[in-house]
Amino acid sequence: MSTIALTELLGSPVLEASGAQCGRVREVALAPAEDRVHVSMLIVRTKTGDKVLPFAEISSLNGGVRTSSPASDWSAPEAEGLFLLERDLLDQQIIDVHGRKVVRVNDLDLHPETDNGRIQLKIGSVDVGARGAVRRLLKGVVPMAALRPLLQRIPPRLIPWDFVDLIETDPARRVKLKISHERLAKLHPADIADIVERLAPDEREAVFETLDQEVAAEALEEVQPRVQKSIVESLDSERAAEIVEEMDPDAAADLLADLGEERTSEILKEMEPEERQEMTELLEFGEDTAAGRMNTEYLALSAEATVNDAIEALRNFQGGVETVSTIYLVDERGKLGGAVPLAKLVLAKPNDKLRPLSMEPLISCHAGAREREVAALFDKYNLLTLPVVDDDGVLTGVITSDDVISLLRAKL
Amino acid sequence: MRFLKRWKIRILLFFAVVGPGFITANVDNDANGIVTYSQAGAQFGYKLLWTMIPVTLALIVVQEISARMGAVTGKGLSDLIREEFGFRITFFMMLAILFINFGNILGEFAGIAGSLELFSVSRYISVPVCAVIVWLMVVKGQYKSVEKIFLVASFIYITYVFAGILAKPDWIKAVIHTVKPPGRELFQHDYLFMTITVIGTTIAPWMQFYLQASVVEKGVTRRQYKASQLDVISGCIFTDVVAWFIIVACAATLFVGGVHEINYAKDAAEALRPLAGDYAYILFAVGLFNASLFAASILPLSTAYTVCEGLGFESGIGKKFSEAPAFYWLYTGLIVAGGGLILLPHLPLIKIQLYSQALNGVAIAPVLIFMLLLVNKKDLMGDYVNSKLYNLVAWGLTAVMVVLSVPFVWDTMRQILR
Repeated sequence: MSTIALTELLGSPVLEASGAQCGRVREVALAPAEDRVHVSMLIVRTKTGDKVLPFAEISSLNGGVRTSSPASDWSAPEAEGLFLLERDLLDQQIIDVHGRKVVRVNDLDLHPETDNGRIQLKIGSVDVGARGAVRRLLKGVVPMAALRPLLQRIPPRLIPWDFVDLIETDPARRVKLKISHERLAKLHPADIADIVERLAPDEREAVFETLDQEVAAEALEEVQPRVQKSIVESLDSERAAEIVEEMDPDAAADLLADLGEERTSEILKEMEPEERQEMTELLEFGEDTAAGRMNTEYLALSAEATVNDAIEALRNFQGGVETVSTIYLVDERGKLGGAVPLAKLVLAKPNDKLRPLSMEPLISCHAGAREREVAALFDKYNLLTLPVVDDDGVLTGVITSDDVISLLRAKL
Repeated sequence: MRFLKRWKIRILLFFAVVGPGFITANVDNDANGIVTYSQAGAQFGYKLLWTMIPVTLALIVVQEISARMGAVTGKGLSDLIREEFGFRITFFMMLAILFINFGNILGEFAGIAGSLELFSVSRYISVPVCAVIVWLMVVKGQYKSVEKIFLVASFIYITYVFAGILAKPDWIKAVIHTVKPPGRELFQHDYLFMTITVIGTTIAPWMQFYLQASVVEKGVTRRQYKASQLDVISGCIFTDVVAWFIIVACAATLFVGGVHEINYAKDAAEALRPLAGDYAYILFAVGLFNASLFAASILPLSTAYTVCEGLGFESGIGKKFSEAPAFYWLYTGLIVAGGGLILLPHLPLIKIQLYSQALNGVAIAPVLIFMLLLVNKKDLMGDYVNSKLYNLVAWGLTAVMVVLSVPFVWDTMRQILR
């Protein structure tokens, strides 16, 4: 059997076994908790009000919906746990996980299937292109027989149902309908960020409440500051703290600095003591200084260490990968004494000392250095990372090139 | 140095207060607005001043609803119409908006042509050059930095306040006409035309789409909404005070001097003579040029956004041409066609501007009806739906607009058919 468009099914007559018309299709419902792809029931408008027609009782979809059970047996509809295709999907925005963007639904393609003699209606794809638009514009104005050949000429823009990620802003409903963002979560954080920026505030909140905290943190780092702020403000402090903890400390500090004082302390209160301590220190620096931009997760070893020690330390390192492209050498008081690029480590022998591998000259900047100065150093010495030291020359953090790129991009 | 710094802080403070509401209200006094108010004063003296109070009230109500919907839903007006009323209604609505906004864009280019002709720059040079400037400025993402210049320059219109005072108008008469409701003359065609044009230029349909989009873009949320309300109200009042003075200034100069019809921009410039003497032309031309260019930068873009969002096309100046072709074609097409039509020889620029505003006036009632239906949806607005009293005022105003526009449309149709 050929594909049926949702808007064709809506409004079509429902016939009893005798052939008498008992109503018209008003809604097509899905019970996602049980089956995400097959239509579970139709809601039919009859003379005695709206009634539920379970899909199992439908015998044919040709020339109207034919049913085997009499209309008097149908129950009144209960919207709980149902996803209504017209109300909840048609004209609404969805996330196209494959195309990585937010799109608006023009129509739905439904595929009838026969399984053991029973008819089922599977959701095939979402129509977001001109075909669905023209169908909806002309339906009821131009006879269907004339409209179909016209529609076939329009190339469809379809998104397979498997790539559709639904947005539901009501948390209770989200749980009942088992709507999650599993597919969305598999995208690159930067793509998630782009998508989220296109959504309305409530929808963003909905996405960030359901995403895994690690994914949420990575995505949040990529979102532009204004939107970042509004997302964190909309989440409850506990959830916000969970996400902020997973973020890069420098990005997290920038974000918290943008929030109101009250909100910041609420979030800090919910954080683990160790992270809270680190965050508080970072927050004390001005956002536009080297210290405000730096990351406090880095790898520092004693000046006497060997290549072997360094590799061992790398294996045990917990922080982000971008910060370990350079390993720092410090004396017993923490004073910066050298910087060894990862590439040199790879080329050296296991028992070589690290000291001779250190970069010459050793470039570092003071915690109070301005952004402009930092960017100039990166440019002049072609750096990937830049160590930040305090008044006594003690290593306090590292700025990585991706921080500088974000900084420059913001000024472009 | 210190002096400069202090000024910098002051200007920054000013812009911190200026929000979407104030900006929208300022664009409201665009080239079409200036011409309309000038014509109202020239043709009917003080007799149209009564429109100002109800129009301001209506403007505040309408803009407040737009801003509130933007803050609560975080979505644009065309998005909401699409989601709540379906594809077909949205399609025809967008078609109508496209048509009406195109009329306004035409008016803005007419303003550019008219203002620069005062400096003896031919429209065959000024219009294409400005069209290219507008297109590039927006596509290259420079608009936001230029917006502040436009905004400051739009304060030139405060000069109308001084010009109005210096023209020694008949204050008593002006005040009486401001509060006295109109009589039977309302249903004379010319008078009704001007009334609807004044309403249409003040409460333009495109402004509602633009304001709501700006509120969303600025990220105003439910919690910050109170500040936006103030921003909207002060913007509306500011606009209409200026409008009132434009009418008074024109009434006291042009109307009294026997100039009852504005055919060229230079006729309208005469109203500033009491203030600027022989320099009136310059003052008027600079102001008109700024207002035209300001609105010409906003209108095609806002229209392209509105239509593309409603119909589900990719949109946004951050996107590449190949990613959002419909958006860019529409945007470019509006500018090219708007600028191009103005270059047809012997085009009555001022008439075009007035008619585009009359069209606004007729179209605002349906837009208002959609807005009121939306803002009263509980599942959309939650606790932020209109109160009973508010609804009474808003529906009342809508009814008045319908009552005014029906005989006008009827009358116009009859004249055209004849």
